Amino acid sequence: MRLRTIRSFGPTLWGLVTFLVVLAATAPWIPVFLLTVLIQLLIFSTLSYSLNLITGLTGYVSFGHVVFMAFGSYALAFGVGTLNLPPVAGVALGAVVGLALALGIGVVTLRFRGVYFAIATLVVAVAALYIVLEIKELGDGQGIILNIGFEPLSWFYTIWVILAAEVIVTYWITHGRIGYGVQSIKSDEDAAKSVGVNAARVKLFLYALSGLFAGGAGGVYAWTASGAFPYQAFNLMFSLQMLAMIVIGGMGTLLGPLIGAVVVYIPSYIFLTVLIGFQFIIIGIVVIIIALFVPEGIVGSLRKYVPELRGFLE
Amino acid sequence: MADAALFTADLALGLLLGCVFAVIAHGLNLIWGVAKVVNVAHGEFIMLGAYGAYFFNVWFGFNPLLSVPIDAAIGLGVGVIFYFSFLYRELRGKESMGLQSEMVTLVATFGLALVLINVAQTLWTGNNVGIPWSPGVVQIGSLRLPLGGVYVAIMSVAIIALSHVFLTKTYLGNAIRAYSQDIPATQLVGINPTFTAAVGTALGFCITMAGGALLTVWLPTGIFPAMGNLYAPISFVIVVLGGPGKMWGSLVGGLTLGVIINVGQLFVGSVALATAIGFLLLIPVLLLRPEGLLR
Repeated sequence: MRLRTIRSFGPTLWGLVTFLVVLAATAPWIPVFLLTVLIQLLIFSTLSYSLNLITGLTGYVSFGHVVFMAFGSYALAFGVGTLNLPPVAGVALGAVVGLALALGIGVVTLRFRGVYFAIATLVVAVAALYIVLEIKELGDGQGIILNIGFEPLSWFYTIWVILAAEVIVTYWITHGRIGYGVQSIKSDEDAAKSVGVNAARVKLFLYALSGLFAGGAGGVYAWTASGAFPYQAFNLMFSLQMLAMIVIGGMGTLLGPLIGAVVVYIPSYIFLTVLIGFQFIIIGIVVIIIALFVPEGIVGSLRKYVPELRGFLE
Repeated sequence: MADAALFTADLALGLLLGCVFAVIAHGLNLIWGVAKVVNVAHGEFIMLGAYGAYFFNVWFGFNPLLSVPIDAAIGLGVGVIFYFSFLYRELRGKESMGLQSEMVTLVATFGLALVLINVAQTLWTGNNVGIPWSPGVVQIGSLRLPLGGVYVAIMSVAIIALSHVFLTKTYLGNAIRAYSQDIPATQLVGINPTFTAAVGTALGFCITMAGGALLTVWLPTGIFPAMGNLYAPISFVIVVLGGPGKMWGSLVGGLTLGVIINVGQLFVGSVALATAIGFLLLIPVLLLRPEGLLR
């Protein structure tokens, strides 16, 4: 790759890559307690980038995104528990399951727009929970408990690889040729179609990618939690947290999902020890305020009100 | 094939339950039809209605049916507050709801859902509560039906019929329907759009919370802060089945879903699977008849 192309990547991507590389390089020396917090943060960042791919970039609000994460978790638990796969292969299996599921759900639900898409995804997620509760191989409603060791470094590097791949894919989509198509779909889908953008294909591609990454993140989540449990894996709170992260960080931006994940996850982690449920009240209020008054989120508002930042915040 | 007596009993129960489902969905239907907004926090207002009935029972010994009008009155107030804090800014001066505003309200009401669930959890703990009220059973031939369920079904149909009369026979009701069809034309004939939309939204919340109170008769131990996670999807499915904005649609959708869940469990073996099938029915209906089952 030529030096000019590398330089043209822009400061946001460089900053993100530096941040990730520094994390990866220092990980073995980070204290275990801090490392587990960091792993959860990276899982949530992966989820928030994953929702950003569909909701942030195309404007299709998906309330049922938790379904990919949950099936990723179950894929890992099934792969490791029943098929005796190594956990990393289980994570890969989770990603593939997420991808396949997103293709299946997306082919049908992406035909609906706006509210109908949101409702269809929500209903599919709730129905999926009820179906999983009845499947004997998946723990018969009790979940699957795994007996795998506590290995924070493997967790860390697995989720790190997924997140790094996701950031690069997001950059490629927002800055590559497909990005024009994606932007035009967000602004006006009918107009986009009339100038020759294959909207159905672009949307399905993004949805499948987001399913892939959410499935992988779900796999790592089940690995850290040593199992998959229906009411925990299908908790719609995950969907909400993902949505809160990209709304607060800035929809459709490259940096927004990570900032959103930090802003939502770290305070909720601190509040967790004070009063359970309290953190969600605060997140909820922040989401309402941001959605109603600053719909661009943190990154979008910075770009809007501080013109100097426009050159390098993406 | 399931036993015929069992089938009849489940069909009857499904129809009774369907009436309650219809009422809770009817509230959503009104808000959806009038303001063109889907209230994602709908399930949480059902939950508030149910807790309302529970506390009136604990404090004053009211049975759930007596709490319905009180809940409905509270719902009116809540609806006005909701309209002015969430919808007014998005609807003001617009001829219709754009996709951008639609997304803003979806996300904002999702935030509201989170706040309400967790406030309820903090105030009233996550434990299940219920109202110990059962007026006995009624025997029709070989069919034994819970009398409470029958009362609830009658009240449910009455509420939907009353709202229909209000919307078709009164000036304000006609104004609301006009607003839902064409906002600029409504303004041309001198109807205040803000007032009309606010009344329509308030009416939706009024029916939602009344529905929450009626629902408690069916839930002897099933009132808890996160109950909305089940009843919100049920309402969404019903409204789409019946067709958003169609007032009798809620009843048709509610009865359909009630029967599918109750009769379906005889065939597939479990309530959970039957519920999943009822929910997934949304997809083919949206694909094949996006305007709903009713014409």
